[in-house]
Amino acid sequence: MNYLDKNVPPTREERLKACNTFGGTACGLVSSSKHGCLGSNDRGFLQSTGCQLGLTMAIAGTIPEAVIIFHGPVGCGSSQLSQAGLSKLNQQSRGNTVKITREWFSTNLSESEVVNGGVEKLEATIREVDRRHRPKVIWIASTCVPGVIGDDVDAVVQKVQHEVSAKVMPLHCAGFKTRIVATAYDVVYHAILRYLIDDPELNRELVFQDEVERFAYEEKRKRTVNLLNVGSMSRVDEDELVRLLKALNLEVNILPCFAPPDRFVRAKDAALCVSICATHDDYFVSHLKEIWNVPYILSTIPIGTDHIRKWLFEIADFFGIRDQAERLVAAEEAELKKALEPLKQALKGKRVYVSAGEIRAGAQAILFQNDLEMELIGVRAHHYDKYGDVLFQDLPDDLPVNVATSQPFEQVNLVKRANPDIYVGHVGGNVWSAKLGIPVLPIFGPLNNYLGYKGIFEIANRLARVLKNPSYYRTLGETEALPYKESWYQADPFKYIRQAPIPAETDPIDADIAA
Amino acid sequence: MSEYTFLEKPRISCALGGALATVNALPRTVALLHASLGCGGMTSNANQNGSGYLGSGYCGGNSIPTTSIGEREIVFGGLDRLEEQLRNTAEIIDADLFVVITGCTAEIIGDDVESTVREYNENRGDNPPAILASGAGFKGDSQWGYDSAMEAIFRSYVNPPIERKKGLVNVLGILPAQDVWWRGDLLEIRRILTGLGLEVNTFFTAQDSLDKIRQASEAELNIVLSPTHGVTTAEVAEELYSTPRLATGLPVGAKATTEFVLEIAKRLELDQAKVDAFLAEERRNYYQIFNRLADAYADIDLQRYAVVVGNVRYAHAFAKFVNTELGWITPLVVITDQVESSLRPALVDRFRDFLEDADAVVVFETDTSLIETHLAERWPRPDGGRYYQPFSPAFVLGSRLDKEFAEGLGISHLSVSYPVSNRVILNRGYAGFTGGLSLTEDIYTVALAAR
Repeated sequence: MNYLDKNVPPTREERLKACNTFGGTACGLVSSSKHGCLGSNDRGFLQSTGCQLGLTMAIAGTIPEAVIIFHGPVGCGSSQLSQAGLSKLNQQSRGNTVKITREWFSTNLSESEVVNGGVEKLEATIREVDRRHRPKVIWIASTCVPGVIGDDVDAVVQKVQHEVSAKVMPLHCAGFKTRIVATAYDVVYHAILRYLIDDPELNRELVFQDEVERFAYEEKRKRTVNLLNVGSMSRVDEDELVRLLKALNLEVNILPCFAPPDRFVRAKDAALCVSICATHDDYFVSHLKEIWNVPYILSTIPIGTDHIRKWLFEIADFFGIRDQAERLVAAEEAELKKALEPLKQALKGKRVYVSAGEIRAGAQAILFQNDLEMELIGVRAHHYDKYGDVLFQDLPDDLPVNVATSQPFEQVNLVKRANPDIYVGHVGGNVWSAKLGIPVLPIFGPLNNYLGYKGIFEIANRLARVLKNPSYYRTLGETEALPYKESWYQADPFKYIRQAPIPAETDPIDADIAA
Repeated sequence: MSEYTFLEKPRISCALGGALATVNALPRTVALLHASLGCGGMTSNANQNGSGYLGSGYCGGNSIPTTSIGEREIVFGGLDRLEEQLRNTAEIIDADLFVVITGCTAEIIGDDVESTVREYNENRGDNPPAILASGAGFKGDSQWGYDSAMEAIFRSYVNPPIERKKGLVNVLGILPAQDVWWRGDLLEIRRILTGLGLEVNTFFTAQDSLDKIRQASEAELNIVLSPTHGVTTAEVAEELYSTPRLATGLPVGAKATTEFVLEIAKRLELDQAKVDAFLAEERRNYYQIFNRLADAYADIDLQRYAVVVGNVRYAHAFAKFVNTELGWITPLVVITDQVESSLRPALVDRFRDFLEDADAVVVFETDTSLIETHLAERWPRPDGGRYYQPFSPAFVLGSRLDKEFAEGLGISHLSVSYPVSNRVILNRGYAGFTGGLSLTEDIYTVALAAR
């Protein structure tokens, strides 16, 4: 795939037929996915979510020495206000102390720009940001209003680029363009691939002292992997994955989040790109392979022993060091198993409901079932595409599955019925289960550890702690009202979903696609 | 084009964010957004983390019913989606009032939302009524959004006044979420006004109800605790229901609150003896507690230089408090709102009763990184000589965004204005008598934290 000749990358709906609407079972979901039946599903009742603009910040907002300009009315960047302290902690834990990482601006579009266009304001803002802060990168996050009124942001970038010292990079992320907010990752990678990775200034050839040094660099390069992190993983998670990769004698180049701009250039030199999440990285790794010939591994996430093993073996196979990996995995699993034994007493048989992005939801569910012997009673995924199949096909066939970006009305209907012992979910959605009186473990956050072997232990440890005293949640359930009528809890949770019929397992896939 | 080309880290959200925070704070009221899919989530996020972990409340956060305008609606119009969303919201959401808030995309494509809302109301049967408020971000910021929502209440929801109700007042100009102390402040203002024998609509506390809010048109007076936002709503009420209005500052501490009470009493011609008795009791309680600080103040020297940073309401209220009650010196007060230059002198005048050099002290600055420049202009940096006057002991009373500024100066900092992401705010308030004591406590807890 190569979309780099286009100003704007395709949406996930266009590129992957991704969907965020489904109600049924794990088996039905995988079957629908394989038959390409999910793309047109939608709902007659919707609740608010974030948009792709917000999610672009999960990468763009972490790049050190970059300033963001939100090109839009004053509110579009305002959720950045919530990041002030957190962003500082996250940068510091990666050793980044440059203050301008946290600077952002709004072009503050008003009624007159809606009529006359906003490019003048954008140009003025870019010049002033460059003068005031001298950043390495200026991101232009273009929102709904310029999207509707037709501001040509790429033309502005071209015009202003040679007047300023920062690299100016457009993010085409108008919220109305896609309901699959993960399109945001493609939008950021698109800008990095189009504008940054071949930047002549950053690409100056390395100067070696002598042939010995050149040889050493080359040898190291052949053992270097790009480890693609995500904004919601912690420094501890990164350390854990680096520890495992180093145990295989590999060098690690971590990007894109919190990576200084020049690190992207070196990504082209690596022997292999290792993703932990296809939702996050497929656009980037595919282009890096297609254009710069860097191979990649994308198939799974190192959550739970089954998938850590799979992830490590795939990497090891690439380098021809399977034996080493098998020894590493055996030692790690033995040590972990011993450590988990006492915790499992508290967790075994506990009924758990999981909600997260498709990859993490699937892998996490498998972890609870296989590593902690908990009873899996339902899974919700933010959205779904073919990359989920490898995980969801390993879940029990009749496991209730809901694909929904947030949509707490479906969540509370499902969760109230299922009445789990614990709900494990993503930031923003947890509170609605909590208000039902159900204990919650928020695991996917930038300060939590959930990856690798340490992640399994950490989650088990935290789960046991939460279950030990759920009084806060119980009291909440007794004292707080949810905004739904009693009749809603009696209704079909998927009442407002309009979805294509789920194909039977036996339907021939090829015939279906041909039709 | 407004005078502001761009804003650095604006300490506000958009009209939709402000209207949403306001509607979410009304009793049993649910907002329905006719907007792009992210507008609700993004501004809720700003309100949640910027306002001391506000909480999504009854139907906020990612529970807000939304049409999620997409490419299809941009091209073909979004009224079908709005009609469907309204119908289905009424089917499953338990509420007594819906407020449809329109976002930028809905307003640019020109959907005739009014007619869809009218049709809904005509056929709603037992379902709750719906009213309409603009939340287009290009029309105004979140403070404008407060007025947009409150105007909608006054125009489309309150009863036509049957008769003017003696002793009933409405309190406007304390903005949910954006005035981070709104909950505690409204409770205290309500306590004080009730103490004066008045009946009060504060709109957003547990003591308020939609039934009472419907009677807001019968009030004797609209009290606006702000020189700007809230005033538009009061003007609408004046135009529609002939309700007079009184704009005051937000009273913080015994002195400002005494002035506030006397002003209200005069305006409503309350029984002076009763008012005096009330004030005497309040002041006695206040100073009995406040003056316990005296030992520490006198022994440790708790006077401070201070930079006060906040919106047009808070900058004034907190600067007045630290000047008049704590005996502090404020070389710089920063108002972070966008204020057109023609409107600035009147806002500076409000500082004259406690600042001799108000013109030199009060600045209008939206951009956080320029605040230190304003201080440097007023307080020369060390010149390398042995003797210079340090900016010490000193304090920054601002938002979370001003923390790095204070750290750079090596002085104390307390987040008291939006955004506050480093404190949890439940029912704490800084208004009135109770609030003055809380603010004193919080300030000196920080000042002495190293001990």
